[in-house]
Amino acid sequence: MFHKTKFLRSLVVRLFFGLLSLLFIAFVTFVADELAPGDAALAKVGEKASPQALANARHEMGLDRPWPVRFVEFVGNAARGDFGHSWFGTQEKVSTIVARALPYTVKISVLAILLASAIGITLGTISAIHENRALDRVSLSLSTLGVTVPNFVLGPMLVLVFGIWLQQLPNSYDPRLPQPEVFYLIIPVVILAARPMATLTRLTRASTIDTLKQEFVKLAIAKGVPKSRLYVSHVFRNAVMPVVTAIGTSFGFLLTGSFITERFYVIPGIGFYTIEAIQKRDTPVILAMVLVTGAMFVFVNLLVDLFLPLLDPRIRESQV
Amino acid sequence: MKGGLVWGAAVFLALVVLMAIFGPHFRHSYEAPIAKPFLPPSGSYWLGTDEQGRDIFARLAYGARMSLLVGISVQVIVLVVGVFVGVVGVFGPKGIAGPVMRLTDAMFAFPDILLAILIIGVFPLGLMPVIIALAVTAWPAVARLVRTQVASLKDREFFIASRALGASTTYLVFKHVLPHLWGIILAVSMVDVAGTILAESSLSFLGIGIQPPEPSWGNMINQARYQMESHPIVLLWPCLILSLTVFALNFLGDGLRAMADPRSR
Repeated sequence: MFHKTKFLRSLVVRLFFGLLSLLFIAFVTFVADELAPGDAALAKVGEKASPQALANARHEMGLDRPWPVRFVEFVGNAARGDFGHSWFGTQEKVSTIVARALPYTVKISVLAILLASAIGITLGTISAIHENRALDRVSLSLSTLGVTVPNFVLGPMLVLVFGIWLQQLPNSYDPRLPQPEVFYLIIPVVILAARPMATLTRLTRASTIDTLKQEFVKLAIAKGVPKSRLYVSHVFRNAVMPVVTAIGTSFGFLLTGSFITERFYVIPGIGFYTIEAIQKRDTPVILAMVLVTGAMFVFVNLLVDLFLPLLDPRIRESQV
Repeated sequence: MKGGLVWGAAVFLALVVLMAIFGPHFRHSYEAPIAKPFLPPSGSYWLGTDEQGRDIFARLAYGARMSLLVGISVQVIVLVVGVFVGVVGVFGPKGIAGPVMRLTDAMFAFPDILLAILIIGVFPLGLMPVIIALAVTAWPAVARLVRTQVASLKDREFFIASRALGASTTYLVFKHVLPHLWGIILAVSMVDVAGTILAESSLSFLGIGIQPPEPSWGNMINQARYQMESHPIVLLWPCLILSLTVFALNFLGDGLRAMADPRSR
């Protein structure tokens, strides 16, 4: 039976913990801001300004108030999407930079997780059905490679083979898109997908092997359920549950972890701008990027938590 | 077969350690250009020279030194903090144990890479911030592992017996708890050091870790990829040694874990 009140209560609890994590991330970010050299007033008046002018600017901007007050203000501004201005160049609004960068990161992350799930679940299931036979060995070795070869080794290798030797794919992203965008997305998506694909393969394999050993599978076989139906509706539906959780976690990590891919393939996404900001010491941009990606990470995990009970009646039942 | 591979991994790691100790000045210095750029591997320059005519072997060796330095120092910090927090989480007074473990849990809400980026974004670029950032992101996992291990030891008969005989908590921790942990800690450390070396290389690759001209495997890969069209072999060496080192550490760690955990034997 599906208890609506139970479900609602668990929803509220989850939301509460999600908010708490967000607040924690915001607090750590704020502390980092306090520790970072320089502040918005210094960026405004410039390095050469007199100490008096700097103190005046600090007072005007409210930077001399006690930290709890400024923390509340920081959280309030961030919640409204106001992260201040970049300290360099045209002192562009940080929220504009975020809005420009985010679609790229989300695009490659979504494509990568779709690719990783499709291949990972297929390979994992095939592996489990052929446990300890040749096909299983092959897919396990593939996934070991996926875990051990770092992104920044895989990236140059792919560009070397497909970009330079075979001349089939571009060597880096070009926002003007002289070719259809697909061409520019293949290499970065494959780099990003490698690791989650390996994890998902292993997990699907383990989970399917576990499910295959259970009583209801034996019963279904004894009843003479055809193999195709056995695997699809008896085994797969049960085996896929832990995999869904892992897909969510992996996606969260992709959103936060595309620094190398974006930097390497020159994709102007969140990761690209974050590294640039660190090299220039552009604190407001660093803070905003960390906050935004942190929030996405929390949000994705929350979605998975809420989505699971819809898939699995056992979780619905056990929720208190 | 399996045993052979574990030995192979151990021998390889021993070679990397030797290389890290003696390699940077073994035949040529890692710092100065000593020959024409992009010389192929030869008797004098074992792995050839890079775009500035520096000896690649000496630079890889210095990179090995950096990787091991970061890997080991981070792991020492992480173990000290992690074991302390894990033990306090079980035996400490409630008023301290509770909040400490809540903080440990809260750390998991923060994606590792973001925290590392934040710390590196605040300090001037260089070796120290990398060590701090990687240590800060890695301790919660160890603390959690130690806590579950300690909590399960607490219910074992030898522990209860010793406590019944009047042993103090400090005595119990040092005599009956920590000695049981070394096996698993050693195994986990191998895998953790591999992760740290990978993370350091990633940061250096991104240009926010160890700064050139000081070589590290990550920044060597980053520099080599600009000439990979004409000289792919320069890119190959750091990629190869990094991948093999990470693989060997993982492999040895898994092997040790199997030995430390009799159930999996």
